[in-house]
Amino acid sequence: MTRPGERTTLARDVGDALDFDAVTARGLVKVYGPTRALAGVDVTLAAGRVTAIEGPNGSGKSTLLALLALLARPTRGTLRFGTHDAAHAGPSLRARIGVLAHAAMLYPDLTGRENLSLFADLYGLGDRGARIGAVLERFEIGAFVERPVRTYSRGQLQRVALARALVHAPRLLLLDEPSTGLDAPATERLARAVDAERARGTIVALVTHDAPLAERLADVRVRLERGRVVAAPAAPSAAPSEASA
Amino acid sequence: MIGTLRTARLVAAKDLRIEARTGEVVISTAFFGALVAILASLSFYLDDATARRLAPGVLWVSIAFAGVLAMGRSWAREREHEVLRGLLLTPASRAGVYLGKALGALAFLLVVEALLVPLTALFFHVSLPPVLGPLAALLVLGTIGFVAAGTLFSAMTVRTRARELVLSVVLFPLISPALLAGVVATREVFGGAGLTETLGWIRILAAFDLVFVAGGVLLFEPLMAD
Repeated sequence: MTRPGERTTLARDVGDALDFDAVTARGLVKVYGPTRALAGVDVTLAAGRVTAIEGPNGSGKSTLLALLALLARPTRGTLRFGTHDAAHAGPSLRARIGVLAHAAMLYPDLTGRENLSLFADLYGLGDRGARIGAVLERFEIGAFVERPVRTYSRGQLQRVALARALVHAPRLLLLDEPSTGLDAPATERLARAVDAERARGTIVALVTHDAPLAERLADVRVRLERGRVVAAPAAPSAAPSEASA
Repeated sequence: MIGTLRTARLVAAKDLRIEARTGEVVISTAFFGALVAILASLSFYLDDATARRLAPGVLWVSIAFAGVLAMGRSWAREREHEVLRGLLLTPASRAGVYLGKALGALAFLLVVEALLVPLTALFFHVSLPPVLGPLAALLVLGTIGFVAAGTLFSAMTVRTRARELVLSVVLFPLISPALLAGVVATREVFGGAGLTETLGWIRILAAFDLVFVAGGVLLFEPLMAD
């Protein structure tokens, strides 16, 4: 497991990647053709907090996550990572974002280690071997990491996907339905990994329909409906996160 | 941040590694291309002279069909488990991802062509040694243009439902200048023309390559943005 204080060392290792303590969205609008997926969302994600983004299908959760992951650009509104405007700092910010989704985003015909090596290289990690060694140990995947991903169980797949999402020690971790298809022990293992990330000061956004998981992990809960935030979070008194419609 | 050439090398090496392990793209594509050539030889063969005149068209048609198949298979790998999304989440150069996919597809198609050319020569009574140099130049240039355009449009259609149909409908009209130049130039080469006599066609193919490689490098990132 990562020790407290390791963040500083890892952050220094990411080269010209940018650092930030919060992610702030203001008036985010995203339009796809005739569909208004987001209709003016304000939300702030803070370091060391897990923000659960909830809502029915089609409420704009995945679109919001795509904007936060810099996979799409907002039609209107601003998205800032600390002092950095997302519109002007794409690749440098991407180096600090990790995404774990239901889909593993791993090549089935490569082994787990080959996948991790490829992604470590694509993130430009100088100490690839050490980083991979660390995630292998942390997520206990050494026993099957030399096998092709195609042969993994759902739980094994998600552990290697988690290793991929965290191999570059991201500042912002986005979780999109990460517990889908996982049994109870695997979900608990995932929750413990998220707890560890929170303890390290990572900014975490969780999109899920898994209410118990959201209950277990979330410091702040934001509800989206029809592309708008409809429920202000019941933030703990000490929580620096906030969201508003 | 990781640069374009390094990204291209990593992505192409990944594709080659998967292909070396599975043989999926080259084997299926080569079989398909060979089948086209064999069926054409059985259908169209009249005599040696007619066969030699038909050979350029058969060769390029089988390459074009096999090429569309190869593109689809190569990009299917990026679709499974949504790995393309994973690539786009990294800070790696988007142009590098495009070039890497194109380089991988180029390698697959050149291997397939190395099998199709002797097969077509055998069935259509073409003596290969005298034409090998100019033919290789035409095939390499034609294939570069094909994969440059094919990679861009495969990436665009990778998330659509009827992707093979859409790719064929969009790609074939687009690459028709390169295909026409390739067929006519190959006909002249099979008719005894040397490299210098086909220079005009080679220039057309090179210009086509330049336009589509540059277009792919410039357009891939905006096309992938949403």
